[in-house]
Amino acid sequence: MTRLATVGRGGRPHWAALLAILMAALVTACSGGSSSPGGSAAGPGSAAAAADRDSGSASGTAPVVPYDVRPLLSPDRKYLGVAIDGAPGSSAVVDAYAGKVGKRPNLIEFYAAWGDGFDSAGARSAWAGGALPMMAWEPFTPSLRQIADGASDGYIRTFAAAVRDLNVPVAISLGHEMNGNWYPWGTKATDAADFVRAWRHVHDLFLDVGATTVIWVWSPNVVNPVPDVALRPLYPGDAYVDWVGVTGYYTTNGQHTFASLFGPTLRSVRAFTRRPVLIAETGAQQGPRKPADVADLFAGVAASKDVVGFVWFEYAKRADWRVTVAPAALAQYRKAAADPRFGFDPRHP
Amino acid sequence: MTDSALDRGAVDPAVDEPTQRLYRVPLGPAAGWTAEPSRRRARVSRAILLGLLLAQAVLSLRLRNSAFEDEALYLYAGHLELDHLVHGGPAHPEFLRYFSGSPYLYPVAGAAVDSVFGLAGARALGLACMLGATALLYSLTRMLFNERVALCAAAAFAVAQSTLFLGNFATYDPPAILLLALAGWAAVRTARSGTLLASLLVAPPLATAVAVKYASGLYLPTVAALAVLAAYPHRGWRAVGRAVGIPAVVAGLLGVALAGGGRAHLAGLTSTTTGRAAGSDGLLELLLDTLRWVGPLFLLAVLGTVLYARRERMGELPPAPDEAGSGRSRTGRLLLGGLLSATALLAPAYQIHLHTGTSLHKHVGFGLLFAAPMAGVAMSRLAGAHFRRPELAIVGWVVLLVLGLAQSQDRYHVWPDTTRLIATLRPQLGPDRHYLVGANWVPQYYLRADSRPDQWTSTYSIDYTDRRGRHLTGDPAYRAAVADGYFDVLVLNPVAGGVNRALARQLRGDARYRLLAALSYRQSSGGAFYRVSYGTGSFQVWVRATPAPPS
Repeated sequence: MTRLATVGRGGRPHWAALLAILMAALVTACSGGSSSPGGSAAGPGSAAAAADRDSGSASGTAPVVPYDVRPLLSPDRKYLGVAIDGAPGSSAVVDAYAGKVGKRPNLIEFYAAWGDGFDSAGARSAWAGGALPMMAWEPFTPSLRQIADGASDGYIRTFAAAVRDLNVPVAISLGHEMNGNWYPWGTKATDAADFVRAWRHVHDLFLDVGATTVIWVWSPNVVNPVPDVALRPLYPGDAYVDWVGVTGYYTTNGQHTFASLFGPTLRSVRAFTRRPVLIAETGAQQGPRKPADVADLFAGVAASKDVVGFVWFEYAKRADWRVTVAPAALAQYRKAAADPRFGFDPRHP
Repeated sequence: MTDSALDRGAVDPAVDEPTQRLYRVPLGPAAGWTAEPSRRRARVSRAILLGLLLAQAVLSLRLRNSAFEDEALYLYAGHLELDHLVHGGPAHPEFLRYFSGSPYLYPVAGAAVDSVFGLAGARALGLACMLGATALLYSLTRMLFNERVALCAAAAFAVAQSTLFLGNFATYDPPAILLLALAGWAAVRTARSGTLLASLLVAPPLATAVAVKYASGLYLPTVAALAVLAAYPHRGWRAVGRAVGIPAVVAGLLGVALAGGGRAHLAGLTSTTTGRAAGSDGLLELLLDTLRWVGPLFLLAVLGTVLYARRERMGELPPAPDEAGSGRSRTGRLLLGGLLSATALLAPAYQIHLHTGTSLHKHVGFGLLFAAPMAGVAMSRLAGAHFRRPELAIVGWVVLLVLGLAQSQDRYHVWPDTTRLIATLRPQLGPDRHYLVGANWVPQYYLRADSRPDQWTSTYSIDYTDRRGRHLTGDPAYRAAVADGYFDVLVLNPVAGGVNRALARQLRGDARYRLLAALSYRQSSGGAFYRVSYGTGSFQVWVRATPAPPS
């Protein structure tokens, strides 16, 4: 009779040892096949890890396709934006504002200091509520020259990776009002070449990381208070900018019409770019003319084909710009905002 | 009276007849069991073979990736040919010039399956071919040796890197291997037949294998020699006629096919196989690849050859005194083992001659098919009579298994997964748009319903006439096309360097284009022996920026 192989010569059991060898070998082979040892730079937050997660191939799920922001750049209707304390983190704030002005804002601007992390939750909340998140990024320190020289590359890459991973459109205005002298990135402390260099450096790092869902907003202040500062040297170029954002306020003792407030700046800008314009920060000082200022703003934006919308600065900062605390102006705002040309859902432009 | 006469139950004259009538002790066989073929042996062996085939299928199907460029090219070409044949679409004779097999055979069959079941179906066709090859290998080896050796051979072949890889791959290779296995099987199966019948049965699958993939012709001598050596014990020197008959019938069949199908096939045969331009891969690199993918099984095959040459008998029992052997002398056994083992080195030797490692990891599978029987002999002998030393055979097989698992995983991920890239490109397509993509057969294949061949340009070559009417090629042509805004979508891989990197740099400063996506991917090094390592890269997808260009 054939001797079964369960017992070897001398009665030694073979199979337990053989099974152990087999299992060890399989584990070795399988671990070699599914991990990324040696030669790989793949960590949990790396591009490779993102590739694995987003490819959709291994899991059989639909692959994650980067959001195409181009339909948002020149929409048929206007952005009706707001910058308001508490937004975009609190949807209740936005809901309350929308209730007062009669229409839901479709762009929410918020501010972040250089060094802050990206507010993914806030941006996601804004987008989920039908608003394009727009971040004004304020590089107080280090200097733009240092940023351009690579002093913040790690921070920028981390920030960009967070933007990439969120995969919703985000407008970013870096170093707004750079033609003024009141910020450290303005004309007093930074020369134009360094501003442009830093802008391009940040932009390129975002592209390197794969953060392609950013709408880059170059936002000078209206030229009226700083007529001697040329804008063109501060402009990074059309390859680096999607929107020209202009900051300008209706004040009690300043310009009172859209043409006089924004006209000179827009003419100056049109000398070197045809990029769409967003009124990136605006408001009207409290006073009897405020309702007229609101009406003028809406009329001016509606009449300007190349202006994609505006952001109302709903703050009491240095002056009270809020519209919700001025009943007559609020009524005017509600009436103007009801115009179907203003407001749309950016998720379905 | 001799013992053998007694064995045959002859009557002993020394015992009187009444006693003999009273009781006759039945004479049993010399041993309690036999290695001769039996229904039970066949049933058990086939059940084990089925288990092996199942394991092979599972190990192949565990590999996941999007289409490789060659798969995409052949299937896409097959779709174009189908369109030509069925719907009267334009003919595409250009494929004849650079395909390494007939564009009218596998590509059409693969595309037909792809039309119904998609890429997974086309790859399943490859799996069916490789499972068929393993089954034929088993049968061939069983005829040459016995079931145990056949199972060991099938087990060795089933877990080889090339077998697992090709078992989930949609190119010429799996059907070519199946046809070679069929030819080899027929060569052994017809060992007792006449030369003419053997030649007529062996040559058709062999000729078809060559037509499906021209490089299969490299194994024609092996099959012919196998036919001779298998037949020699039965037909003596008359078996040598097969060495002439089989190649002659193959040549006749291919000659008829060429005469009927046009001589244009010869251009493809020359450019891809016989007169292939020499590459620049180093000898050491190719030797290492050979060691990686062929070495372990080849060493087993050599061991099997040595052991087989020393002792022919495969079973546990000593031969019965009147039992005839297979009729192979030690030289004959050495020749058979040497032939089968050495065939494993044919593809590496030819590619070393050409200085190219292209597709070597697949091509080695052709030779391993023939070397596997001798590896099976080695494993069977290592296990010993009555499975006294199974651990040696199992350790040998586990080594093959581990290497096959790791290496197939490694080779299956040397190209990036393009699933996400394709999903990103799909919404960007339009009837009048132009696309620049490096390995563009992959998107052409996946997006064939939404695009035409003339819309695609690769980063490998370009003919472009710029707006001033200048005809340009190479890098100046790419630069001019981008400057003219000719392309609507560009997929660049800066890691690849060359024109990819230059255009990516150019586009960063071009306001008419916008980076739509930078898609990271992971790919293996392709040089793993037993452990896979990965690197990363990224596809940059550039599209036209929506805002009008600055005036």
